[in-house]
Amino acid sequence: MSNTSTLATEKKFTWGGGKSPFSVSYGKLMMWIFLLSDAFTFSSLLTAYGFIRHSFPSSMANELIKPMQHLSENFVEEMQHSGLFSTAHWPLPELVFNHFPFIHGMHLPLFFVSLMTFILIFSSVTMVLAVEAGHRMAKKEVAFYMFLTILGGLGFLSCQAWEWTIFITEGASLHGNPFGPTAFAALFFIVTGFHGFHVFSGVMINVIIYLNVLKGTYEKRGHYEMVEKVGLYWHFVDLVWVFVFTFFYLI
Amino acid sequence: MEHTEHLEHTEPPHNMKAQIWRTFWILFALTLVDIALYFMLLSTHSLMKNFLFVLLGVVKAYYIVAVFMHMKFERNWLSRLIIYPMVLVIYLVALMLIEGEFTALLR
Repeated sequence: MSNTSTLATEKKFTWGGGKSPFSVSYGKLMMWIFLLSDAFTFSSLLTAYGFIRHSFPSSMANELIKPMQHLSENFVEEMQHSGLFSTAHWPLPELVFNHFPFIHGMHLPLFFVSLMTFILIFSSVTMVLAVEAGHRMAKKEVAFYMFLTILGGLGFLSCQAWEWTIFITEGASLHGNPFGPTAFAALFFIVTGFHGFHVFSGVMINVIIYLNVLKGTYEKRGHYEMVEKVGLYWHFVDLVWVFVFTFFYLI
Repeated sequence: MEHTEHLEHTEPPHNMKAQIWRTFWILFALTLVDIALYFMLLSTHSLMKNFLFVLLGVVKAYYIVAVFMHMKFERNWLSRLIIYPMVLVIYLVALMLIEGEFTALLR
């Protein structure tokens, strides 16, 4: 009879203890589960949007204005007269969100929000490049890419702030707007506001982690997993934007 | 003074940087497709159009989650932990859109 310990031949099974579930650390798993819960929250908001949007009839097609066409000073009034803006039906997003900074009086649907989408996608790329540099313990690269990500986040927030400003100066608020039913502007503010709040908190968290990277906290720790966790949050924010962009502007 | 932790993790692939840039160009192209389709289908209102845009969104979501969020290289059960509840949520969304149509008839 051999004297080898039975422990050496004991079979390990996945939930037998002694290893991290899913081979991820506690912090990373919890971030994933938090993102899942946040996805539920955004899904419920987008569901409410879809439900309310579909409870109104759609607008008739826009035959009046083509992209890049000149807009008159009284564009909103003209649309109201033509019946394209009415509280009886949901407005066409292309007629509402048609502005671009520094370009006055031109009908530019989707241009500005496409720019916002590209900014956020690019900041997602710089974020994942920071994570990749972290795997190689390349501190200077991590710092560089995180800095670019923060700039991208601030750029997106500035764009969103500009979009809101234009919308509000045209008369949109939580209890009324000149484009259609009250719910139209209210839902826009609530959903883009909630998303913008996530971008804002993401930028704040990125700044804190960026400062920690500069300080050398993760070099000392021996791994850059915190950058990875924060990266997960940032990509989630980008992901939500893809769907907000699709639901509010494309459909 | 130095304390290095060892955390369990799945190793990233050796060509991660290449995969990152490849995914960026895919996302970029998909967004251009989004924009092109939008202008081509500007005056139409159909279920097919909506379905197409949501589909593009889902494809983009796949690339963001799988590559940028590293899910492709994690354990299979972690993907399922996230995907299965989201499938149920999408079912809920579809049901609510249908309910919205019924509410429209009540207005």
